[in-house]
Amino acid sequence: MAMETQTHGGILQALRRHRLAGTVSVIAGLVLWEFVSRVIVANPLFLAAPTQIAAAILALGASGELWRHIGVSAIEFALGYAIACVLGILAGLAMANSAVAKRAMQPWVSGLYATPTIALAPLFILWFGIGVWSKVVVVILLVFFPVAINTEAGLRTTSERLIEMLRSFGATERQIFFKVSLPSAVPFILAGLKLGIGRGLIGVVVAELFGSRAGLGRLIAASADSFNMPELFAGVVVLAIAGILMTAGFTWLEGRLVPWTRD
Amino acid sequence: MTIKLAVRNLSKWFGDLEALRALDLAIERGGFVSVVGPSGCGKTTFLRIVAGLELASAGEVLIDGRAVTRPGGDRGFVFQTDSLLPWRTVMGNALIGPEVAGRAGPQERRRTLDLLKLVGLEGFESYYPRQLSGGMRQRVNLARALAIDPDILLMDEPFSSLDAQTREIMQTELMRIWEEGRKTVLFVTHQIDEAVFLSDRVLVFARRPGRLQERVDIALPRPRALTIKRTPEFVAYVDRIWRLIEDDVRASVIEQKA
Repeated sequence: MAMETQTHGGILQALRRHRLAGTVSVIAGLVLWEFVSRVIVANPLFLAAPTQIAAAILALGASGELWRHIGVSAIEFALGYAIACVLGILAGLAMANSAVAKRAMQPWVSGLYATPTIALAPLFILWFGIGVWSKVVVVILLVFFPVAINTEAGLRTTSERLIEMLRSFGATERQIFFKVSLPSAVPFILAGLKLGIGRGLIGVVVAELFGSRAGLGRLIAASADSFNMPELFAGVVVLAIAGILMTAGFTWLEGRLVPWTRD
Repeated sequence: MTIKLAVRNLSKWFGDLEALRALDLAIERGGFVSVVGPSGCGKTTFLRIVAGLELASAGEVLIDGRAVTRPGGDRGFVFQTDSLLPWRTVMGNALIGPEVAGRAGPQERRRTLDLLKLVGLEGFESYYPRQLSGGMRQRVNLARALAIDPDILLMDEPFSSLDAQTREIMQTELMRIWEEGRKTVLFVTHQIDEAVFLSDRVLVFARRPGRLQERVDIALPRPRALTIKRTPEFVAYVDRIWRLIEDDVRASVIEQKA
């Protein structure tokens, strides 16, 4: 959770300074990349310059190919992510509310969270085919655990003081859950969902690399096979933009839904 | 005067620790009674048993002659820490009691709005706790307890986290509010001068085991202004209570250091 240490007047100034530093750093990096790629490496089979990548993105976009890949990857991600979020939150609720459920699920959840389950992607492609569903399963496997673990942690760390306050008004267990435990777990749940975005994107791309007909991972793999560096980087850049936008969206959502965690 | 709250032979054990021994007392309707004593004298445990947040090991608590063992709408609890829900506005927090009881209609809303006015929070209904000072949060805490219109107000060191000036302001505000509604108040504090200033009677607790050592009736005229704290009568009361608990306080301080 974000901590603000500066006063309000200072924050605006610091933000402006930091923004400027960030912009300068990004531009300098791009210029350096362009220079290295065109002058030092000077071999389009190894490295593409930012301008070449931009051109590739525009060309792929104009031909409609880019949108086809984005569409397939987006569907895989959205399906897997949505299913994993629902299942993850339900599992977290079950673990927080029942000692038996927690005992039964904890070893699996902790174990599988730490396991690089992405390594099982080839197996899932074997089981579920080369189409959308094998990728959906991989995404579910990667997103489910952080969501479940965070939901459970959020519900379990509900302030005893707040529970006691509600109890003093004669609240039932049900009222305590809905009026205190659940709202105070929302920041944790959101953090879990945010963590799931990066993991879900990795899941989609890696699963597609192992075997697929379309998708950004397919685009990257095909470009690598034909040493088409601009198109390879085009795929990576689109993924990076998707990740950044979704994470930023979540940060905005956190500001709206749980503003009390900001200070 | 009728007895509002009676405590009979109340004892509490936490495992092997005797927290309260054979407490017997009675509080009249509309009376303001404080409990003072060193840390570990069981004063907060006593308040929590009256609130129904803790069960007695022996004895009973009677309100209007009926034994109580669980929280109820006849008692409003004001907590030491404000315990406000950070995702609710001032109004939303103050309304939590009626809401839990399933009657947060327009009538309760209007009443709660009046209460917020009474505690000096007019115009702050839609603020969030993080936007308020410590003193204002404790005002919400008080309004929240009053919103269920309890017969008895149970207050657990509600001003202990405030700075000295804010505390004095809150004491006079509490007096003003109490004079208007005349609810029965049971007030736990470790500040002797606070207890003397507010109360009709001060119950002095001793420790090891926690027990009632002495009842001190405060015969100061009402309404009381802050200036009364400088009168010789006031100082004499504070002095007398301090002497009653001094040895105990020293013992508890040494224990905490060890």
